[in-house]
Amino acid sequence: MATSTVEPSTYIAPPPAEETYYEAHEPTILGGGFILAVFAVWELYPAIFGLSKGMKLFFATPSDIIAALYSLLILNEKLPMVGTIWQHFNASTGTFLFGLGLSIIVALPLGVVLGRSQTVDAMFDPFITAFNATPRLVFLPIVLIWFGVGFWTVIAIVFLGAVFPLLINTYAGVKNADKLLINVVRSFGANEWQINKLVVLPNSLPFIIAGLRLAIGRAILGVVVAEFFGGTEFGLGVIMVQASQSYRVDILFAVLIIFMVVSLLITAAVKQIENRLSRWRPAKIKTF
Amino acid sequence: MSSYISAENINLTFRPKNREAVTALSEFNIDIEQGQFVSIVGPSGCGKSTFLNVLLGLIPPNTGVMSVNGRTVTGPGTDRAMVFQEFGLLPWRTVAHNVELGLELQGVAKGPRRETCQGFIKMVGLTGFENHYPHELSGGMKQRVGLARALASDPDVLLMDEPFAALDAQTRDIMQAELLRIWHEAKKTVLFVTHQIEEAVYLSDHVIVMTKRPGRTKKLVPIDLPRPRDYEMRVSPRFNELKLEIWNELKDELSVGGDEDSGHA
Repeated sequence: MATSTVEPSTYIAPPPAEETYYEAHEPTILGGGFILAVFAVWELYPAIFGLSKGMKLFFATPSDIIAALYSLLILNEKLPMVGTIWQHFNASTGTFLFGLGLSIIVALPLGVVLGRSQTVDAMFDPFITAFNATPRLVFLPIVLIWFGVGFWTVIAIVFLGAVFPLLINTYAGVKNADKLLINVVRSFGANEWQINKLVVLPNSLPFIIAGLRLAIGRAILGVVVAEFFGGTEFGLGVIMVQASQSYRVDILFAVLIIFMVVSLLITAAVKQIENRLSRWRPAKIKTF
Repeated sequence: MSSYISAENINLTFRPKNREAVTALSEFNIDIEQGQFVSIVGPSGCGKSTFLNVLLGLIPPNTGVMSVNGRTVTGPGTDRAMVFQEFGLLPWRTVAHNVELGLELQGVAKGPRRETCQGFIKMVGLTGFENHYPHELSGGMKQRVGLARALASDPDVLLMDEPFAALDAQTRDIMQAELLRIWHEAKKTVLFVTHQIEEAVYLSDHVIVMTKRPGRTKKLVPIDLPRPRDYEMRVSPRFNELKLEIWNELKDELSVGGDEDSGHA
């Protein structure tokens, strides 16, 4: 190395190079630029090279999709099937919130009880292990028979999807609760309820949030799949099936983008909640 | 039952699943007068910490009677509070909120609770750190919080389970001096478990030497050094005589092997 021959006293570090605009924003520019490039190719390919008649039936350009989104979301035009997109959106949102809410109401207390009581744990463990290992969709035919075509079948599927990740994560978090801290609050006179409130729940919060994130994904999946098969009249999943049957690729993509945006928004919201609840933690970890 | 803290023939055996039973305390007796500072020294795994947990009311003994001020211990109570070795601070709570734990569980309203705790935070020298979280504090500061938390619930008996073991040597010296100052101020009966003979002699009115497991009281050594104690006392001839006396009692109990298992507290 040339610098090793330079006396420390005479060596003057070169001034740090000024960071260019590109260097400062490289990830954003690369990420955004690539998306734009993909859309440009997607948009221009049919215009330049043309598509065969058969292909045209299954194809929609970004501008078609934006036009569809504009007419459905902003102008609130009636769908070629039934109702407006917002009616379907609200139906799906309602199902999602109801199913997820139900699974939270069941999974959180049950997870805490399972984690804290060895007796209850031993009783429920085989059921939970078996149910959790089984793909949820195999329950769909049974659920259809029991709850009939319609709302409750969809709710049941969403619930079955969301409840297990939440239950299992809550349980793991509770099992992991710091024994020392439990003894500390016990020594100051805490009863079982207070132990759970003061130590067990805050201690297992990272697990519960992780479970919630999983549960949300499963619940959205549940909404779509259940609406594909569940026989409800309204729902974004219903629209997708019908749009696909009538080759409305622009509507299919429009609904797909709605799902994408909603999922991103929910993920961001959960992250916000998590940050708010973990201000006491020394370091934050990047999550998706 | 004339003494303030009394343990009569305490027997305690742990029977963990799939493992051999361990007798932690066997015919354990102790008598402590009110307002005394008493240290317990003994080999690792002799049941010192277990005894503190019995006294705290977290672990019921198999047989024997544990009593404080004439009342039999049946569970945790506001007359006793512990300072834990690993601090045991709730990491999601600020300093002030941690110190308030005891009063909160006693059902004291927020206003008076905050006011009382402010005084104890000042006593341990943490004014200005009320809104810090534990991870922002050094080890010594964490244990000051632990001490303030124990004192804030105004117990009659303060139990300390190797409270300074996790601290570096200098911080430990400072914390010992601080503890003596606070003890003079707060006037509590203190039961202090430690591995360090020097620490025990420096702080205590009496030092109890325990046998190896199953733990029994081997000897009660009165510490006749004058108070207030200062750092120079540690090099006085009497101090070293007492250290040697305790060491001579203790060394026979330090067998090779078999003492590694102290994790029953």
